[in-house]
Amino acid sequence: MKIIIYTTPTCVYCRMTKEFLDKRGVSYIERNVIEDESAREEMINKSHQLGVPVIDIDGEIFVGFNRSELESLLKSNQSLSSKKI
Amino acid sequence: MYDLAIIGGGPAGVAGGVYAARKKMKTVLITDFFGGQSLVSADIQNWIGVVSISGFEWGKKLEEHLRAQESIDIMDSDLVSKVERMDGGWRLLTQSGKAIEAKTMLLTSGSRRRKLNVPGEKEFESRGVAYCSICDAPLFKDRAVVVAGGGNSGLEATIDLLPYATKIFLLHRGDVLKGDPVTQEKVVRNPKVQVILNVEIQEIIGSQIVTGLKYRDKISSDVRMLDVQGVFVEIGSVPNSDFVKEFVKLNDWGEVVVDHKTQRTSVEGIWAAGDITDVMYKQNNISMGDAVKATLNIYEYFRSR
Repeated sequence: MKIIIYTTPTCVYCRMTKEFLDKRGVSYIERNVIEDESAREEMINKSHQLGVPVIDIDGEIFVGFNRSELESLLKSNQSLSSKKI
Repeated sequence: MYDLAIIGGGPAGVAGGVYAARKKMKTVLITDFFGGQSLVSADIQNWIGVVSISGFEWGKKLEEHLRAQESIDIMDSDLVSKVERMDGGWRLLTQSGKAIEAKTMLLTSGSRRRKLNVPGEKEFESRGVAYCSICDAPLFKDRAVVVAGGGNSGLEATIDLLPYATKIFLLHRGDVLKGDPVTQEKVVRNPKVQVILNVEIQEIIGSQIVTGLKYRDKISSDVRMLDVQGVFVEIGSVPNSDFVKEFVKLNDWGEVVVDHKTQRTSVEGIWAAGDITDVMYKQNNISMGDAVKATLNIYEYFRSR
């Protein structure tokens, strides 16, 4: 599972999303859309969103920090990967 | 069965929790997250004893203080969605499907952002319509934006946007701005800012993202259009009192009516503190104090029974 989080440094919900994933030992790539112009373009092209965090999970786009949505997504992903084994 | 269930993890809930734990009341606190509405504040400068702190760090401090208490149960990442009366107390049902029983309740669930409720608002949420200026202001670099609301939060959103936006229309429905004079001065004298008063916002327009906002001038009744790519909504708040509206007395604004000496509500066994109540000033320091008052009164209530 590849996760990219598009963030701004001042965004609280971005920090909450990162903490949520950190606590569960899930790795992700963070792209700061303020410092990195290309990340900003990439985020807007992918999602047409003007709000952070934008979370890209294997190409599926999520906007904002929605704990229960992320939780169930991680759960279904984990059961998928354990089935593969 | 718990002696006390505290609903909410903002300043009021945490203050109540710390006091209840120190009084050794059997207490549970249920909250979605810690820190309340100030969580999204860039810089809190009026929390007494600390000169300056971000809302995020402040929320962490509240959580840390509560978790340092030995005797309190904490259920975070959850919300109370329904309350039922039961023999000798209350049954609280949470979003995740748990049921909690408690003899008394302290309501500290605060309030949430008021929305404009105009066409286009929902459709373009996070496609130009924003509710967290500190989060999203940098994304509006080189764009023109509207800030809706002339109170303190509207003024602060304008300040957050100043380094990025090319033009900021500050729209207010009244005929004078409401926020603190010190902040007003800072905002109004900036050439990027144009204040428009007596405004009734009618519609947010766009295709993939926001392209404009339509409003009516309440004096002339003219309908005008602003070419903007962003709308920041800062028009006050609505109390989170829906889950108790069948039991406790609310005022016209949905605030829980309390006795300000004891924080008791209209129903025996239910107290409330902070922004959910009809307290005149919605402030972190006041919410904390009011919750302390409530908790001490709950302690008295058990002792005198």
